[in-house]
Amino acid sequence: MNSLWDSRPIRFSTYAAGLLIGAVLWEYFGGKVNPSYGAPLSATAKRFIFLVSNGQLQDAVLGSLQLYFVGFISAVLAASLFGLLMSRLNYLRVGFENYIMLLYATPMIAMVPFIKSVLEIGFAAKFTVVFLFGFFPVLYNTLEGARSVKPEMVEVAKSFRSGEFALWRDLLIPHTVPFILTGIRQGAGRALVGVVAAEFLISSSGLGGLIQDQQGKYSMSGVFASITVLTAMGLLLMWIGRVLENRMAAWRGLNR
Amino acid sequence: MTTETGTTTRIPGASTAERVQPGRDLLWRIVSSGIFAKILVGVVIVTVWQMGMDSLGSNFDYVARPTGIFEAIPVTIAPEWYFTTFLNTPEAYTPIVQAAHERFMAGIVSTMGAIFVGLFIALVAGTIVGVLMGRIKAVDRLLNFYVIAFYAMPMVAIVPVVVNWFGSSGGGTRMAIILFAGFFSITLNMADGARATPPEYLDVAKAYRAKPWNVWFGIAIPAAMPYLLAGIRLAAGRALVGAVIAEMLTGTPNSLGNFILLEAGNLRYNEAFVAVLVLSFFGVGIEVVLNWSTRMFLPWYRREGRGQ
Repeated sequence: MNSLWDSRPIRFSTYAAGLLIGAVLWEYFGGKVNPSYGAPLSATAKRFIFLVSNGQLQDAVLGSLQLYFVGFISAVLAASLFGLLMSRLNYLRVGFENYIMLLYATPMIAMVPFIKSVLEIGFAAKFTVVFLFGFFPVLYNTLEGARSVKPEMVEVAKSFRSGEFALWRDLLIPHTVPFILTGIRQGAGRALVGVVAAEFLISSSGLGGLIQDQQGKYSMSGVFASITVLTAMGLLLMWIGRVLENRMAAWRGLNR
Repeated sequence: MTTETGTTTRIPGASTAERVQPGRDLLWRIVSSGIFAKILVGVVIVTVWQMGMDSLGSNFDYVARPTGIFEAIPVTIAPEWYFTTFLNTPEAYTPIVQAAHERFMAGIVSTMGAIFVGLFIALVAGTIVGVLMGRIKAVDRLLNFYVIAFYAMPMVAIVPVVVNWFGSSGGGTRMAIILFAGFFSITLNMADGARATPPEYLDVAKAYRAKPWNVWFGIAIPAAMPYLLAGIRLAAGRALVGAVIAEMLTGTPNSLGNFILLEAGNLRYNEAFVAVLVLSFFGVGIEVVLNWSTRMFLPWYRREGRGQ
């Protein structure tokens, strides 16, 4: 029964049908509702072209991407370095793990007012928000990697007179990288939420700013166009994360 | 190999604990214990936070810091008792303090209640849609793209749209965001789990001429429990963030998110932080309950990397 469904033309047409039905529903209901509730696909597409032609959309995407990458890459670097250190120093790991769990479970969005109270409104505050959104998922997963370093492995390495450098290069880093990548995949989505939250709550800029701007102009089509672009960014980042994880973590044989 | 492990006979002087001398070694054992490490790190974090905020100077007196938060906890949770009975300064029990306390208590009930209700609905709906997606290829092909796309869509971004639909005064917008945050992560994981139903189970079901819904609800869902739990864990975290985002952006009355913003607006940051503590403990509580139920109901399932 599977062979028929899996044949290429059937597979292609079922996916295409799904997209088509969605597009038709969007067009129909988007056109029927009150214009302050939504916009049809055609108007959204038209607005998208307009926003591209006057350069607003590109500026917004660039602004958001800049914030995203500066914030998230710093978060990944900081978290993986700290996580690696914890994989070597058991004492450090035991001391920190409960606090990391606590902070991982804290909705970082609630910290925004406090960040605003300390840092002045601007890039530094937004950076901090994105950093915090991305830092803890990576750190939490790296911690799980650190916890699963088997002491026997370190002992074997030691008894073969492995130096500190070789221990890190051949054991700790290869062991921890897959966990870091799981964290990156988890954090990638959260950091994007952080970018939009920072742009909404701290100061208007980037795609979050564009959404607010279009809403202020009562253009639901503009809001929808911005959200669509944001979703495409989210999908792309998720896909990159997954590809990286599958490539680097294949040996774990988990495929989760 | 088999006889040696598990026996409790001990050779005197063999273990390190018996070889060490008392006195100096006792101190060393305390310092190197896990509990000590945890307390030490906690003290360091609190001290660094306190000193960092103190060093900002008197212009930043309102910024949240440990000493202030420590005092704010009774002020927000039980101000009447704290001021009239404990401190015996009833004049400090002002209407502002009382109103903040009432909003805080109402906020806990409303935020937590909304998250529980929303997660429950998302769990039921997500499980059903997920199992259908995982077991029926046509459903999967039709919905897969949308589930993934809505999952990848940052939930903050839709708040400005949803608030037009449901308004900001009731909890409608917040409930919609919680459902949005929870439903797709549960559906996605459930579909993955249902797709990965062991083929032997399906063969047996087929041999006994099981009905499709028996396969979906009797086999696919139980077999996918680990996936479902991973989905719930993800959904709970996202729902918590989504609820607070919606509350902050739309000003849902009597909610923890709104409490934080209002107290911060009145420069009562320490009181606002108490709400953050509540949210943290709630997040940890969900995690603990999920871990416990994994051990309780799925003893056969151990997450890789969990160690011991």
